[in-house]
Amino acid sequence: MKKVRIKELVEKIEGEAELEFDFVDGVIDNVEINFGFYRGIEEILQGRDPMDALVITPRVCGICNHAHLIAAVTAIEDGYKNGGLEFELSNKAKYIREFTLSCELIQNHAKWFYITIIPQLEALLGVASGQNHPLKANYISTTITKALAIFAGQWPHSSYVVPGGVTCDPTYLEVVQADSLIDEVIRFFEQVVVGIDMQTYLGIDTYNQLNTLEGDFGRVLHLLRSSALATLGQSHDRFIVLGESSLAPRGKAVATTVSNVDLRYVAESEQKGSKAKAAHYKGKFYEVGPLSRAMLAKRGLIKSLHKRHKDSIFSRIFARIDEIALLLQRAKQILHLLSLDEPSCVLDMKKKPQNFSGSGAVEAARGSLLHRLVVEDSKIKNYDIITPTQWNLSCNSKEETGIAIKAMQGLKGTDEAKFVFRTFDVCSVCTTQ
Amino acid sequence: MGKKPKIIWLQSITCNANAHSFLNHPNLFSILSHFSLQYHPVLETSYGLKDLSELKVPCDILIIEGAIREEGWKKNDIEVAQMIRHYATRASYIITVGTCATFGGIFKQKDPKKISGFCFDNDKKTFRYDLYKEKLISLPGCPIHPEWLSYLLLMIQSKKKIPLDGMHRPRELYGYTVHNGCTRNEYFEWKVDTPGFGHKEGCLFYEQGCQAPYTHGSCNKILWNDVSSKTRIGTPCFGCTEPNFPKQNFFQTETNMGIPAQMPLGVPKRAYLMLAGVAKSFKIKRFSQTLLEYDE
Amino acid sequence: MRKEKKLLKKETIMQAALELFAINGFHRTTIPDIATKIGMSVGNLYNYFSSKDILAQEIIKYTSEVLGEKIKEVNQLDIGAKEKIHKIVTIYFETAKEQPEMIEYFLRVYLSNREVFADGCEGMVCVSGFITEIMIFFDDGVSKGELRNQDFFSAFGLFMGYLGGMVFLKGEGVLPKDISEYIDDIARNIYYALKV
Repeated sequence: MKKVRIKELVEKIEGEAELEFDFVDGVIDNVEINFGFYRGIEEILQGRDPMDALVITPRVCGICNHAHLIAAVTAIEDGYKNGGLEFELSNKAKYIREFTLSCELIQNHAKWFYITIIPQLEALLGVASGQNHPLKANYISTTITKALAIFAGQWPHSSYVVPGGVTCDPTYLEVVQADSLIDEVIRFFEQVVVGIDMQTYLGIDTYNQLNTLEGDFGRVLHLLRSSALATLGQSHDRFIVLGESSLAPRGKAVATTVSNVDLRYVAESEQKGSKAKAAHYKGKFYEVGPLSRAMLAKRGLIKSLHKRHKDSIFSRIFARIDEIALLLQRAKQILHLLSLDEPSCVLDMKKKPQNFSGSGAVEAARGSLLHRLVVEDSKIKNYDIITPTQWNLSCNSKEETGIAIKAMQGLKGTDEAKFVFRTFDVCSVCTTQ
Repeated sequence: MGKKPKIIWLQSITCNANAHSFLNHPNLFSILSHFSLQYHPVLETSYGLKDLSELKVPCDILIIEGAIREEGWKKNDIEVAQMIRHYATRASYIITVGTCATFGGIFKQKDPKKISGFCFDNDKKTFRYDLYKEKLISLPGCPIHPEWLSYLLLMIQSKKKIPLDGMHRPRELYGYTVHNGCTRNEYFEWKVDTPGFGHKEGCLFYEQGCQAPYTHGSCNKILWNDVSSKTRIGTPCFGCTEPNFPKQNFFQTETNMGIPAQMPLGVPKRAYLMLAGVAKSFKIKRFSQTLLEYDE
Repeated sequence: MRKEKKLLKKETIMQAALELFAINGFHRTTIPDIATKIGMSVGNLYNYFSSKDILAQEIIKYTSEVLGEKIKEVNQLDIGAKEKIHKIVTIYFETAKEQPEMIEYFLRVYLSNREVFADGCEGMVCVSGFITEIMIFFDDGVSKGELRNQDFFSAFGLFMGYLGGMVFLKGEGVLPKDISEYIDDIARNIYYALKV
């Protein structure tokens, strides 16, 4: 038995990570994932007014800041309700929140696809296209965040969501403008990403029909399938969704068997050698993210893909880009449903409970994001953030192998392994906060 | 500096939002075409972090993102502060992007004695200031607006003189207050509060914590994502470009017996109160009405 | 020179009006009464004030500025809130003693004949000289940690309602002692009510 240890730096993942690969007889036996940074956002929040979390927590992450904002407000609202305050958000506020969060997800997925996945895949397979892929990411991102900023004022780092609703009070001038920007992204998706119109794309329900896809997505799927990469990166085949959204119900799945979850069973634990904490549900690791959402939503196409490739990188990559189409469709629908005569915010900031605890889960780009807080005498006593990457990128526990580690086990090279690692859409800053 | 100035974008203690904000520049790649991007935390570049940490990457413009601590923040086994020192000494320009890199910002709060901005620690100069003041440009903001950075880069590239203030901020960007250009200015003039969050009408200065009248920045001149700003959509300005960001209680105006504790930039309190008292005395009907109603 | 003369003349007219308002009441005092008192022709007086209402408004502005100037001097002293309160109470009561017509006017004319002041003296427009200085005093006290932070009007009402009430009692002739003798106690009461 020949043992080798290789240390590799993975960069441009919203920071960096160090992977230490243990090879046994030429295949990866184990990996240690090390995120070296700890910035202490949770500590910074202690002693502050709970509303300050709406400004501070987005600063956890430059790419999924909006999800942190929504998680923070959801946790505070849950706390208010636990503290005896009764209120019901207007549909308008709910829709606007969902719209802006959807825009952030689309921004993220596009950047991941064009700045990370395509260049890395081309490098791995030696099939450079010579195209400026980041330019495409830039186009989608600027267009979609413009739609987001119409309601949220800016991206990154908006704090336009407050307990009881949103601060914006749009007119149809803004709604029409946002709608037209979504159309623009849909046009790009059709012409450049998938090469067919979006409704046709959304109508695809069998694995074989994927051959009809063109564009960059079609090309990536073809590259994956023709290079035998498609089946790599399988993990525990366990999925969890903590947030409630139109994408998927809250729940967990082992392969395709779905069951309920209770947020109280979500816990984190310290990990040796890493500044990041591992997240688990009743002691077990679950994958979070677009693939989990699609599995919980029982999306036919993804189930058919999963049947063939399980939770491989093919399914993982597919689900994330597929989600762009679902989100664009939903964004259009939301703007159509929006009724501007409803109140934007139903709470008076002066009447708020002074002692409470609450938790808020949202579906962020990379998966379930959970914020929990305890407030005493109107000051934050404790704030706890569990990010999606804490689920996907945890080290091994005593009982089982971490999700990403399991996905890398058995591979023969570090380049392949690093590519598998990146399919989880790694975010270093979120992992360590 | 060669024909194409060489840029290194180096990150310290950060959330990456400045990098991502800049990635949202609509003309990103035409701007970058004037430069040689040596290292960037997100975009593909000619050098990697390994090269960077081996201190062998040529650099004309050093962009620093994130707060700094001298020890205890390593990348690839080298202190980031050491890397920055190396490139800062060699670069012709140093741009601190974001409030963390400029003044310490959010991430300073974790360990205020050890973490600071590069050349400023809140509004005090750090020991580095004298070393680098000749080439220092401050670009505070949490995060920066992409247009602020492209302006700077293109000014440097075309060898134009950039007017700076005492904290090395470009006057053309920070000579304004965020209040300047706010669509709620009429309400500020007549001292009409917004009835609460979620309204187009009313000013956020009296109750909701808006810091725009005393915050340096051009958020309401150069709109965010080309379309809006915090105050335009009813969120108070949090003063994120200022040396003392982050303060406490962002959504509440600090008052002394109902009088705003902080005055608009440069306005004496007596002058403000005199005008405010008079303006408030006129109950002007238009400002108490909603701008428009939808009946459905 | 001419301007200064005109200003002096205006002040003479206002002073005479103040005294007549105090003796005969606002409604019963006429422009000819005022003109007679200072030996001026009615026509000439109208050159200075085009109506009795305008005159009434100018007087309130004038008294507010006179009081405001005095409090401004206190605000600019480098002393604590306790001492400042004592000085403000003293100013108010001394004015009530030496120029009772001025305080009387404020209480009996300005506060009781709001219709006269509705157009041109809305809200704080004519009393801002005085109110601004009270605001500066409060703001300074709170920011230095001497006074308890609260709503402006809850503090203002306590301060000015108290002083106004005492001057009213003096005017009714029910105060057994000279109003100056109440300064120490009242200043202390106000300080204790407002301090942190």
